[in-house]
Amino acid sequence: MPTASLTRPLKVLLICCLLVSAWAFLAPMLWMLSTSLKPLNETMTLPPVWIPSEIQWRNYPDAIAAMGHFWRYAGNSLFLAIMTVIGTVTSSALAAYGFSRIEWKGRDKVFVILLATMMIPFPVVMVPLYSLFKSLGWIGTFKPLWVPAFLAGAFSVFLLRQFFLTLPKDMAEAARIDGCNELQIFWHIILPLSKPALLVVAIFQFMATWNDFLGPLIYLTEQKDFTLALGLQSFQSQQGGTAWHQLMAASTLVVLPVIVLFFFTQRTFIEGIAATGSKN
Amino acid sequence: MTRREKENLRTGLLFISPWIAGFLLLSVYPLVATLYYSLSDYSVLSPAVFVGLENYRNLATDPIFWKSVYNTFFFAAFALPLGLLVSLTLAVLLNFDLPGRGIFRTVFFLPSLMPMVCLAVLWQWMLNGDLGLINNVLRPPLDAVNALFGTNLTPPNWLQEPVYAKWGIIFTALWGVGQAVVIYLAGLQDVPRHLYESAEIDGANFWKKTWHITLPMISPVIYFNLIMGLIGSFQVFAVPYVMTEGGDGPERSLLFMATYLYQNAFDYWSMGYACAIGLVLFLVILGLTLLATGLSARHVHYEGN
Amino acid sequence: MPRSSCNTKRLARLCGAALAALLATGCDGRPNNPDGRVVVRYWDKWSGSEAKAMQEVVDDFNAGQDRIRVEYSSVSQINRKLMLAIGGGNPPDVAGLFGNTLAVYAENNALTPLDKLAAENGVSRDDYIGVFWDICNHRGRLWGLPSAPASLALVWNKKLFREAGLDPDRPPQSIAELEEYNDKLASRDENGRLVGAGLLPSEPGWWPAIWGWWFGGDLWDGERITADSPENIAAMEWIASYPERFGARDLLSFRDGFGNFASPQNAFFTGRVAMVLQGPWIQNFIRDFAPPDFEWGAAPFPSSGPDDEGVTLVETDVLVIPAGAKHPREAFDFIRYVNTQGPMEKLCIAQCKFSPLKEHSPDFLQRHPNPQIGTFLELAKSSHARFVPPLTFWVMYENDMKQAFGKVWTGAASPREALAEVQSRLQAEFERRRARWDRVAAALQEGWNKQP
Repeated sequence: MPTASLTRPLKVLLICCLLVSAWAFLAPMLWMLSTSLKPLNETMTLPPVWIPSEIQWRNYPDAIAAMGHFWRYAGNSLFLAIMTVIGTVTSSALAAYGFSRIEWKGRDKVFVILLATMMIPFPVVMVPLYSLFKSLGWIGTFKPLWVPAFLAGAFSVFLLRQFFLTLPKDMAEAARIDGCNELQIFWHIILPLSKPALLVVAIFQFMATWNDFLGPLIYLTEQKDFTLALGLQSFQSQQGGTAWHQLMAASTLVVLPVIVLFFFTQRTFIEGIAATGSKN
Repeated sequence: MTRREKENLRTGLLFISPWIAGFLLLSVYPLVATLYYSLSDYSVLSPAVFVGLENYRNLATDPIFWKSVYNTFFFAAFALPLGLLVSLTLAVLLNFDLPGRGIFRTVFFLPSLMPMVCLAVLWQWMLNGDLGLINNVLRPPLDAVNALFGTNLTPPNWLQEPVYAKWGIIFTALWGVGQAVVIYLAGLQDVPRHLYESAEIDGANFWKKTWHITLPMISPVIYFNLIMGLIGSFQVFAVPYVMTEGGDGPERSLLFMATYLYQNAFDYWSMGYACAIGLVLFLVILGLTLLATGLSARHVHYEGN
Repeated sequence: MPRSSCNTKRLARLCGAALAALLATGCDGRPNNPDGRVVVRYWDKWSGSEAKAMQEVVDDFNAGQDRIRVEYSSVSQINRKLMLAIGGGNPPDVAGLFGNTLAVYAENNALTPLDKLAAENGVSRDDYIGVFWDICNHRGRLWGLPSAPASLALVWNKKLFREAGLDPDRPPQSIAELEEYNDKLASRDENGRLVGAGLLPSEPGWWPAIWGWWFGGDLWDGERITADSPENIAAMEWIASYPERFGARDLLSFRDGFGNFASPQNAFFTGRVAMVLQGPWIQNFIRDFAPPDFEWGAAPFPSSGPDDEGVTLVETDVLVIPAGAKHPREAFDFIRYVNTQGPMEKLCIAQCKFSPLKEHSPDFLQRHPNPQIGTFLELAKSSHARFVPPLTFWVMYENDMKQAFGKVWTGAASPREALAEVQSRLQAEFERRRARWDRVAAALQEGWNKQP
């Protein structure tokens, strides 16, 4: 909204509002960081202190040791994230191309079905999926967590389709006249133009896998196969809530990769999120 | 169909074939299977035995199931509108041309990056009755009130008291509204400037502009966010599960439909019963989405329509 | 350039190949026995020093023969994880469960019955303190053998008793006396915040369902759930007296400041509570977390009347062979090994528990790190030792009782109301489960007859 009409006091007031809200959003994260660097007894003092009397970096290696297989968890999370990103990007791009750049009978009706599947919550289908993967012998392996990513998630297809629709038609037409087939057009023309959208889908998938809890909870059985999210929960349930300094250190370590990813891809990230809402 | 049409159909279907496979295996089959299992006595290890509507009859008289329904609706009924209010307000604030907008936007957005498990662990600590940050912020003003009026107000033990536990979860959810802020902000920035300018000529004030221009123009975005939020809040699971260490909170105040489904499936070995809960959950979400869509047909304004 | 249809074929081939690759990776086996031994995978719930104790027994077993190699791993929340693994068809060969979950595992056909293996190996009830063998049996079959057992006693902090003017060597003998002690041991700071207490049934609150036992009650009678029996209501009324006396919110706030059980902030070790209901393992935690001058004693938990003196809960961890285990015989060899005197005493001494075997070595009690182990052992051997009902929905029962406890503890419901709710829900559940059992019993029993 244009601000020419804003008077100076009003402007100050609005900034104050923003500052207060920003503090409310920032404080818990700072609190997490602060707790993660405190000696244990200082997490128990009342009223609490923000700046630890001595910065105790040791909490981080201690938390890593206490979690048991921290580096394995991290490796597992990374493996799953990479596999699901590859799977989602390739399969969803193909499907999105089929939903946007090729005219075929009934296409838009099928697309509505695709949109409708976004409404099915995972808990509803989790029991049959569990028994399906059981019959494949996949329980206790990583497969239930990454193989489905190769079968094109509805949300990613939706995002990519919206993007593909905005690409100009003439280049593809010209290529078609030159005798290119659809796969070549997809590969040589559409994909290079869609790098930002593909990156958005990749980032979303990475986050979704990194954050996933219920999937690993039911499919993974051996401690050493846990993901970071599951490992953190397991650590917390063993701790039962005392070693808050270590729990906060462990949480910080689990969030850190996501935050780093965010800062490196901030623009794409924010634009991608914005696009999810506005382009329908 | 012409030859070309046929070919297009074949190519199109081939391109979407990964999705078709996923649709059949990961959506259609599980939904049908859920329906079948919900009519059976089933525990994974022994084959399903058909029992008719028994699971549904038991559901109808199971007070704990109804408690989980109540809790789920309670959570959605507060978390959704409050989330809408908070995120829309913040987006409107950010939409003013003020210094530091980019930084503020990042600050609001950051918490939504937190994995659910971290979110739960952090807020379990924030809401700790004795040492948590929230209560330490609340204590001084409450003490001031106590000193003034001779009352004896103390902050609650959020996650230990049934009345407050759900509010703890709601606050946790509100803290993560950053994505919605970004989406609304983008929506607000897409509203054509000239609409405001001509309204200003007519002498419209801020509230009039908000009511008559901003809200109608971003109503599709609101609708989208609302549907997504609805689907999300009806399957709330990870945060209460982690906060209660796999339990359901004081007096089951943190037992949600997804939690009860999980407990029945993987703690009590009653997978048929779990599937019945799943189907009810699905129908609830379906019904509410259709309801929202019906309402939105009247109130959502699409450009060009 | 090739025509479009050609390329659709290529696309199809590509998709097909990708799918085939995915499915191919679906049937990889685990790397197995490089040295020709049968690998027995063994999961248990223990972590830390308890896991280390078991690992040593496993190492001894592996070193003592060259046919089998047991691979131990610690699994948190083993009840859930083991079920997922058995259900998923990929279970370990041996698992350590809590004895009170045997019923649900057995009736869901998730375990291998061990009667024949036990008979072949000459293992019988005569070898054990009877009650532990009974825990391992359900529906007429043997489902596991005990590993580390325990009984519960009142454990108290002598220093706090002395400071409160109580005889440090004389624990309360009855519930009435316990309440007197509670009043003497409670303390508040200058702001009125509760900072010390005698016994809090909520700390650590691991057995919310069984308080009625010390009031002469029980949880079922074989035919009916008895959650709302007068004795159980009396116990709940005793629970309800806490919030009345100390204030519900004060108690909650007090408890929120307690640390985790296994930490120096444990409320008992920091002197915030003076008495707890605990098992013999408490010694290990005292050694690791309590201040060096911590003085404590153990005695039978006080009861409401003389008939219930010496009542205790006995429980035991059990070693089971999940259904679908690949090497049940080798698994049993290992379980059998753990259940011989030497290894069992090694394990129990390290975990600070007593042996479930009838005979212990002459110097067992002297070698034992827990000075009070004799008290716990005598409690387990007494005729008042009980275990929780072998119901398939015990988890649900305990959870409901915990909920009822919570309501009474916060003053949200009267004991009668809270227990009536538990009673009606669980009696219905009991009948449903019985109907289910009647439906499947014949088929299950027939399957179990074909045990290895």
